[in-house]
Amino acid sequence: MSGAVIGGGAEQREIDDRDVSVGTFLQEKVPYYAPVFEKVQRATLPRWHLNIWALLVPWLWSAYRGVWVLFWIALAIDVTAIVCLMQVVKFSPLLAEAQLNPEANATLIARYSHWINIYSWIGVLLLIGGRLWMASSANRLYYAQYARWRINSAVPSGVSMQRLVLGVMVILIVAPLTTYRATQLRLDERACFNHIRAAEGVEALLARYDASDVTDLMSILSGEITQRETRMEALNAIETLSDEQKSERAALRKEARDLGRDLELTEDFTNITARDKFDCYFIDDFPTLARLEPPEDITYRRVPDEEAIAAGREGATKVIEQIKDPVEGRKVTIFTYSAESIDISINYLRAQFAGGFDAMTNVLRQSLIRVEVAFMQTPWLVVAFLFIALSWAFAGLGTTIFVASSLGFLALFELWQIAMQTMALVVVSTAVCVLVGLPIGIWMAKNKWFRWITEPILDVMQTIPSLSYLVPAVAFFGISQPPAVLATVIFAMPPMIKLTALGILQVPESTKEAALAFGASEKQLLRKVELPMAIPSIMAGLNQTIMLALSMATISAFIGAEGLGAIVTSALGDAQAGKGLLAGIAIALVAMMIDRILKGIRNSFSRI
Amino acid sequence: MSVVELENVWKVFGSRASEAMAAIRAEGLGKAEVLERFEAVVGVKDASFSVEEGEIFCLMGLSGSGKSTLVRHINRLIEPTSGTIRIMGEDIGAMKSEQLRATRADKIGMVFQNMALLPHRSVRDNIGFALELRGIDGYSRAQAADRALETVSLHGYGDRLPSELSGGMQQRVGLARALAADPEILLMDEPFSALDPLIRRNLQDEFLGLSQNLKKTTVFITHDLDEAIRMGDRIGIMKDGEIVQIGTAEDIVTAPADDYVADFVAGISRLKLVSASKIMVNPDAHAAAHGPIDPAKSYPVASPEDDLDSLVGLSTGADLPVLIKHDDSIVGIVTKDTLLKGLQGGAEA
Repeated sequence: MSGAVIGGGAEQREIDDRDVSVGTFLQEKVPYYAPVFEKVQRATLPRWHLNIWALLVPWLWSAYRGVWVLFWIALAIDVTAIVCLMQVVKFSPLLAEAQLNPEANATLIARYSHWINIYSWIGVLLLIGGRLWMASSANRLYYAQYARWRINSAVPSGVSMQRLVLGVMVILIVAPLTTYRATQLRLDERACFNHIRAAEGVEALLARYDASDVTDLMSILSGEITQRETRMEALNAIETLSDEQKSERAALRKEARDLGRDLELTEDFTNITARDKFDCYFIDDFPTLARLEPPEDITYRRVPDEEAIAAGREGATKVIEQIKDPVEGRKVTIFTYSAESIDISINYLRAQFAGGFDAMTNVLRQSLIRVEVAFMQTPWLVVAFLFIALSWAFAGLGTTIFVASSLGFLALFELWQIAMQTMALVVVSTAVCVLVGLPIGIWMAKNKWFRWITEPILDVMQTIPSLSYLVPAVAFFGISQPPAVLATVIFAMPPMIKLTALGILQVPESTKEAALAFGASEKQLLRKVELPMAIPSIMAGLNQTIMLALSMATISAFIGAEGLGAIVTSALGDAQAGKGLLAGIAIALVAMMIDRILKGIRNSFSRI
Repeated sequence: MSVVELENVWKVFGSRASEAMAAIRAEGLGKAEVLERFEAVVGVKDASFSVEEGEIFCLMGLSGSGKSTLVRHINRLIEPTSGTIRIMGEDIGAMKSEQLRATRADKIGMVFQNMALLPHRSVRDNIGFALELRGIDGYSRAQAADRALETVSLHGYGDRLPSELSGGMQQRVGLARALAADPEILLMDEPFSALDPLIRRNLQDEFLGLSQNLKKTTVFITHDLDEAIRMGDRIGIMKDGEIVQIGTAEDIVTAPADDYVADFVAGISRLKLVSASKIMVNPDAHAAAHGPIDPAKSYPVASPEDDLDSLVGLSTGADLPVLIKHDDSIVGIVTKDTLLKGLQGGAEA
């Protein structure tokens, strides 16, 4: 049996010589595994053939042998089984408690015993069945690994103590905590928060009373309370109290009450056991570790600048700051801290650059009005005719019939003007998307670094929930149509940019090279070669942008977009299903009409 | 005058190319060492050649031998790491970008293996592309394009899209595009490699006919030795970025510079390549071995430039050896043995 040698240099490995390669792979217990492998290969290994080690300690065996697939499956099955069995431990004391009073707790007893029954069955079955499956599959999986190892020497082979240790560590991280968790009832949501509050309170008290430790603090507090109670009793003993004494008594009562609360807090704190702490840190949620001082609560406002106005500059304004006093002892999480800081920054930007935002709003509003006029004040007959003529000229009979019936739907259901409003919004948003997106897309295709920066931003723009940037849009631009356009643009622009860049990047290198060889400059290359060849891709981007803009119609209606979306939103508010559904269908029809007509235009112009 | 001149051109690819180049100069590093030390790949190694006016110069080599890289230095699509390239006496490396573009558009036409036509333009607009880039008006462009179409016998196809044409026709368009601006130099990067053998043969013949009329200085790239021999006035053979031999087809076939070239030409038919002068035996040596020539007998006669094919024709049926005569004096003799050995190759070795 001579072996062919594959691979070069140090990686030379005999592959035809079965005995040698199986031996290298197995490293240990060759006499057991070699015949087993042969049987697997011949498909004569019986299903009931069990690997004893895999039956007893499947995770250890698979870690030792590097069969990580089996390791994870075994771990998952065993841990699930144990979790099921632990339910028995969890519910048994509850059942026992309920059985103390069988009549009152009949339902509870039935429920608990049912659960205990079911979970113990599932657990036992999983444990036994799982182990049998593992023991019978172990050798087959091991053989599959051997087959992969022969192709790729990076596949784990042999036996390894290091892997075994790694496997044990994984088990130690996963199994004990999960098992313990399974025996515990769900934690009170506030419990952990209260622990933190108590710790913070006690820390403040320790500082205030200059106490050395908690016991000391408690005796100090009790002493203070006793002192006040004695004084109050003394006051109570007096028949008639002067006004001064009355107010002293009231003050004492209040002080005693506050002290009592502090004492209670301290007692709570001492009652927190190590196990409570452990539960809070490692069970359920990630513990809130950092508690920060909240950011300074500043409000920025733009007010008339009296000085400048007095100096002759009419209508001059300035930004003023108002700082609110912080709430004493307030501590916040990182999330709250960041959210409040962002609020303050937005507030600042809004006040500082009010002119810029207003100007932008104005431009958008003006263009929107113009387009709305075009769509809404053109007689319906003309608009309908243009739509039908366009689809007839470019998209064929089927589309024309579809467009005509869709228009009929809009007209019959009295949605015509409103649909035109939606169209105007879409047209303006799409125009902004193209004007901004096309240059960005070209730049992205031309500049690797810019692409590298822009791509994640675009992904965020596309995936961030649109409702969450409606809020800042409102903060900057108020509630009206322009912020709706902006929100739509943010949502709908990424495909325009991405597909422009993609189209340009897809131009074959050889075509560009040919253009350069005939003396094209960079500008000519872009204008005469890259852009024309990217047109199908750019048109696909335009199409997607329009569809996304339409799908934003409803959401942007929340911040003042008018049109079909507004009907849907108002229907949602009033729970009028029919109204919402009809308006929704109208949006879909508008989208499909535009899509079909655009596709027709694209197909008849595209020469590629 | 040499129209294209390359002098000690090196191309090293990689981010540390100039360092690598300096090390190659100073220490004479080999390819493998350069790759290991600088992660740089030597694409072209010290290439020098010149192409005369009207000549077809073939660069032949297997894929990866650097021939396409080398030809792209001629119109500076690739910048050399070191060395000089002159186009009609002008150093192309020293040109400003505007001048370079003008040179590319007016003086150098290029044909590509995969045609690289613009799919969104008609055949006519494709052919007029170089002129369009130079700002020539549409009317003159169309006329030039139609002339070029006529040259490549595609009259009447101007309004088609490239995708409507067959591969062979597309490559004719590619050629027409290269010819439209009437450049002095043609760079042909494996123009016929992607075509069917029959169409390739047709186009080769047609191109040979064309270049006899047009007299364009041509650098022709191919990986096919047969094609190189058919097309090239001279052939440069490349291996691993280096030009290992330059010469006429006959030079290369009869005197390969090294084993690599010898291996290459081993399978080439010598019938039409080798001339009588390369295999003939000195008359005195012949007389010493076989006795003197008998003037009474009628020997077949050939001239030294005649190829082996015609010698075979003369020898068949004749018992006597062929006399090779130059200006009526016998300069050599070819017996059947000599002829057979010459056909086999290695007679002169």
